[in-house]
Amino acid sequence: MNILSVEHLTRVYGTGSTAVKALDDVSFEVEAGEFIAIIGSSGSGKSTLMHLMGGVDRPTSGTVKLQGQDIFARSDEQLAVFRRREVGLIYQFYNLIPVLNVVENITLPVLMDGRAVNEQRLSGLVRALGLQGREHYLPNQLSGGQQQRVAIGRALMNEPAIVLADEPTGNLDSKNSAEIMSMLRAANRQFKQTHIIITHDENIALMADRVIAIEDGRIVRDERRN
Amino acid sequence: MSMRDLAREALRSLEANRGRSLLTILGIVIGIAAVIAMTSLIGGVRNSLVSGMGLNAARTIFISCAEPLDEDDLNDLARRIPDYEMIEGTYDSYTQVQVDNEMISVGITGSNPQFLEMTGMHSKVSEGRIYTEEEATSGARVALISRAGVEALFGTGTSSAVGETLKLNNKAYTIIGVIDDGITGTGYCNAYIPSKALLKDFSDGWHYFSQVTGLAREGVDIDALQEETKTQLAKVKRIDDEDIEDNVYVYSLKSSIDQFNTFMMSFQVMIGSVAGISLLVGGIGIMNMMLTNVTERIREIGVRRALGASRRDITLQFLAESSALCIAGGIIGTIVGYLIAWGLAFGITALGIDLSEVTGSTSAAFTPAIEPAAIAIAVGISVFIGVVFGYYPARRAAKLDPVECLRYQ
Repeated sequence: MNILSVEHLTRVYGTGSTAVKALDDVSFEVEAGEFIAIIGSSGSGKSTLMHLMGGVDRPTSGTVKLQGQDIFARSDEQLAVFRRREVGLIYQFYNLIPVLNVVENITLPVLMDGRAVNEQRLSGLVRALGLQGREHYLPNQLSGGQQQRVAIGRALMNEPAIVLADEPTGNLDSKNSAEIMSMLRAANRQFKQTHIIITHDENIALMADRVIAIEDGRIVRDERRN
Repeated sequence: MSMRDLAREALRSLEANRGRSLLTILGIVIGIAAVIAMTSLIGGVRNSLVSGMGLNAARTIFISCAEPLDEDDLNDLARRIPDYEMIEGTYDSYTQVQVDNEMISVGITGSNPQFLEMTGMHSKVSEGRIYTEEEATSGARVALISRAGVEALFGTGTSSAVGETLKLNNKAYTIIGVIDDGITGTGYCNAYIPSKALLKDFSDGWHYFSQVTGLAREGVDIDALQEETKTQLAKVKRIDDEDIEDNVYVYSLKSSIDQFNTFMMSFQVMIGSVAGISLLVGGIGIMNMMLTNVTERIREIGVRRALGASRRDITLQFLAESSALCIAGGIIGTIVGYLIAWGLAFGITALGIDLSEVTGSTSAAFTPAIEPAAIAIAVGISVFIGVVFGYYPARRAAKLDPVECLRYQ
């Protein structure tokens, strides 16, 4: 089943002579439950693509459809609600809120939505991420790997339709990288979630079902692996 | 996000920058402290003034006339002017009492118990009681004497003068109460006795009042009533219109109270301006800190937006922080303000400055007034400043582009 379609997506930053085309007419479709790696060098447009798919940024032209609905047809307010409920975002530098503890960071998207926290899901996540006993630690009291696990917890807490990760292992050593990747893979299998991982690391890409390569804002390769 | 979560996050963020937050709210603290210290001091002085003059001071009118006034005149006047709750006349006399080898002067006032109540004298009775209606009607020989009188007649160490006998004009009067009017050590005695007793023992047939005091009904225009009293009294005593000003005198404490209020108003304006400037500077300080906060937390703003916070959520979050900052300033300022007021009140007393001369209060010390309304206003001002000066930084944070924020290093 097709969950996400990216159609003729173009994003230009700046105007006139300073205009930069970060993304140039990119189109592809994603099946529900796929585990996709998007690879490309720095400045190739990977992060721009991720922010457009996550509804964080709006394109210059083209559309992103989630379950057949054009996400950019929504108002800014509606798009914010969409990000909260349908998208899980993971960044290279964790991007946790420094004054909130582990549990508060994980539950932030739920609290933003003004809903009650599903305690069962929260404790399940904390256990699966190996964060038991550190629930009330602040981010600066955690190692890089632990912080990234909190970020994963935050991305998965709302059971989003799609998880987008931008270089999730870019700041971690090989042991932590492997652990984080296997956690994402496990979530993908267990919850039948769609995961799109952006990376420049070919080894990470090897763990994906499908690899999309981007260069200069264009797709240069799109292959499924078995 | 719920109010509780919002408040919790705001407090956490401020705590993370505790030193800076404390310095920033100094302006608010000073401004609010000035407002609170001023209102509580003025309130204290006013309370002291009102209790000194009696609760009814503002509606008390003193009436006198070149023509002597008697009971019938007052009844006639009261009939003519229904705006008076009561009009009471008192008689004055004077005698001397020998104590050991010394002659003690005694000023005697004959009145009805209503007069004592009207002028607030009954609330200053520290021992015993005032005379009853029956004692007044029968002209019983009972007396209330001043504290200074107790000292002069019985010595300073006297514990209680109530029940003692006092010979006035060779008539034995029983002391039934002591009036603490705040004046001691004068060697002079003031005595209050029933009007009938005074007329019987001291008057030699003279039955005209020395002093006439009226109490206006609540809500009556005192200035108009004073004019009306002049006109009606002239009619009662058949005084020609052109002679009224020279022969009828009517005045009230309202003008002194108005004068006090005018004086306090200028004082209030002065302190109010200091507070206003301080709050303005404080507010600008808050805005400055919030702008710095926005710049420092630009990445966090980007993350929140990416995770699904709307512009409104970001605005509310920063407004909550600036309001929390100002409320904290307001609370600290309120406490500091009251401490200053208490300190000043204590200092004034310790320096021996006797406010009783100004206010007629029963004691030299006065207590700053703690008014819930003043605290409510202080907190209200704080929230107002927090919202007004926090709005611009909050909107600036909300308008940031999340992708730009996330790219910010």
